[in-house]
Amino acid sequence: MDYTPFTQWIIEHGVPEKTLELFLAISIVATIVSLFRYFFGTKSFGIYAPILLAIAYSYTGLKYGLAVTLVVILGSLLSHLVLRKIRMHYITRIAINYCLLSVALITFMVVINRVGFGLENMSTVPPLALISIVALSDFFTKQFVQKSSKSSFTALFGTVLIATAGWFVITRDYISNYVINNLWLIPLLIFANLIIGQFKGLRLKDYFRFKSVIKENDTKK
Amino acid sequence: MTQRSKYKNILGLNRRNQEYIRPFNPPSAKRIADNKILTKKVLAKENIKTPEVYKLIRNKQQLKFIDWDSLPKSFVIKPNQGTGGNGIIVFYGKKKGQYAWIRPNGDIMTRNDIILHIENILDGRFSMGNRKDIAIIEERVKTAPLLKQYSYKGVPDIRVICFNGVPIMAMTRIPTKRSNGTANLHSGAICTGIDIATGITTYSMQMDTNSPFSDTYEDINTTQDLKENKILSGIHIPEWDSILEIALKCQRVSKLGYIGVDIALDAEHGPIVFELNARPGLGIQVANKAGLRWRLEKVKDVEVKNIKHGIRLAKSLFGGEVEESIETISGRKVVTIDEKVMVFHQNKTKKKEPEKESGRAFMDTGVLTSRMSETFANRVGFLATTQYFNSLNVPRKFNSIKEAQEYIDTHLKALTLEENIKRVAKIVDGEDVKVRPVVDIKVKISGEIKDIEVVIIENSDYHLIIGREVLKGYLIDTSKTFSN
Repeated sequence: MDYTPFTQWIIEHGVPEKTLELFLAISIVATIVSLFRYFFGTKSFGIYAPILLAIAYSYTGLKYGLAVTLVVILGSLLSHLVLRKIRMHYITRIAINYCLLSVALITFMVVINRVGFGLENMSTVPPLALISIVALSDFFTKQFVQKSSKSSFTALFGTVLIATAGWFVITRDYISNYVINNLWLIPLLIFANLIIGQFKGLRLKDYFRFKSVIKENDTKK
Repeated sequence: MTQRSKYKNILGLNRRNQEYIRPFNPPSAKRIADNKILTKKVLAKENIKTPEVYKLIRNKQQLKFIDWDSLPKSFVIKPNQGTGGNGIIVFYGKKKGQYAWIRPNGDIMTRNDIILHIENILDGRFSMGNRKDIAIIEERVKTAPLLKQYSYKGVPDIRVICFNGVPIMAMTRIPTKRSNGTANLHSGAICTGIDIATGITTYSMQMDTNSPFSDTYEDINTTQDLKENKILSGIHIPEWDSILEIALKCQRVSKLGYIGVDIALDAEHGPIVFELNARPGLGIQVANKAGLRWRLEKVKDVEVKNIKHGIRLAKSLFGGEVEESIETISGRKVVTIDEKVMVFHQNKTKKKEPEKESGRAFMDTGVLTSRMSETFANRVGFLATTQYFNSLNVPRKFNSIKEAQEYIDTHLKALTLEENIKRVAKIVDGEDVKVRPVVDIKVKISGEIKDIEVVIIENSDYHLIIGREVLKGYLIDTSKTFSN
């Protein structure tokens, strides 16, 4: 691929092409997270989880990524159900959760190997991407235990939604080719975030949340 | 009005953070609100009551040496820097002869269970940013009887949002079975709006747990899971002015420009501050069916001289919608304790005579049948009736109800001979029992015309005294007293 001189210079001076792509992806997904938060009111497990997940999905492919996410969440719920009856400290609880998740994923991969389920290439998925998805369990379990099941599922839905949007953007070749050759887009993203941060209007979610207030004001009039 | 401009009154999270929290809540003030121990210390300077602390546990070493016998039967464990009510456990009683305590839902926690919970608090499981924390063991507030009857086991609290020295909006959060006795809205507690002028509750909501989205509310009118569910609108929060005053004092001492103050009403100590909130949620708008934004903008540039001034401003700017609101919810009219009424003229014969007379009425739930003063009765067309009754020379007082009844039985025909006298009634006036005539009148109360039965009495400070029989369909607003 032909690069602009500036990009070429960076690649030749210690930043491998893949690493550069990754850093650009982080900037793009981070901006998508703030867009979703400020304009739509989408709750997620912070900013790190959707970034990690979007990049993991870009390595696994969306289908495999979502399947692993489902196994991780079901595994976390199952281990929570088993462990909540046992009196123990939080950290040990989370450690056991990870052990159980490893077992669940190994089992899942063996089952997929035998049955298929349309996920025949599961064994070719990069293991580091798998581990990144497993990290979601920590965010999910923490919120599930500390807050409520509803808030944790809401945040999970938001995280996966943003990660999917992020995956879509960063896996489009024309977008990644354009961004890698137009690195001035990074300062532009910084500027965009400054603007997003100044947005004072209602989030899309607020319109649904406060619908009854508006309805009541209409009735009064 | 376009849909967009209708939403202009609503305060969203973006604007709350940028226009109110960031500029008006300095980090030093936020630190006070985010730390319950510091909050207690700061509030104590202004003599504001907070729940009494029994023990502070700062590390696992201290946890080993807790004297469990010194704890009362009921208490609360809280993380010092917890958020959203997470990590708070309430104990209602102790198992006899055991180191085991009972939770609102009947669950038992042994000493070891409690130690584990405290260790989790110390490890920062419930604190902001999972920082190491301190566990607080403190007094369990015993709710004042009026609010207790609406709550499932826990303690209802009152959230007042204040800005620039003015109380802006208020709501009460009532624990339910679903919320396991906590006042946490996300767990299923009920939130009820409060009219800032009167302290009377208006609309009620509960978070819809079936909705796939969080922060979705459903309208409710009554409590949900009590043996006998009660209507939630029209509750007059006791000590309302004190609550507003305390909320403003909390704002002054904490230096939080935009604050949510959580206050409970203790049966013994009155208003008691639970916590200060530097980032109060926006659900209060749903509970009040009113937007915060226009209220905040209204007081943004006002120079508030003192606490009393702030309260007066709030009452005149944001209060007074309660009557309309309660009528909408409960279908009942609101009347003040001292109400102007119109009584229609009886047997109007001359054109010159006015069709109706205006009079002052006192709402008195202590009497069953309404009463009308004789002089006013004469003005509205009962002159012949009162003259006839007085001509009967009925004794001015009887020594007992029985004696009065015997007199009525003997003289019933003569007593009810006049066409307007429907019957005669025995009434208790101070220590005396009297026999008086009863007539029907047509009266307009709070815009509604009614045919009511009244006893004509000899004299009264009021033209009419409206009794329970008529008041069944009304809610009485006691905040407007005789002086105003």
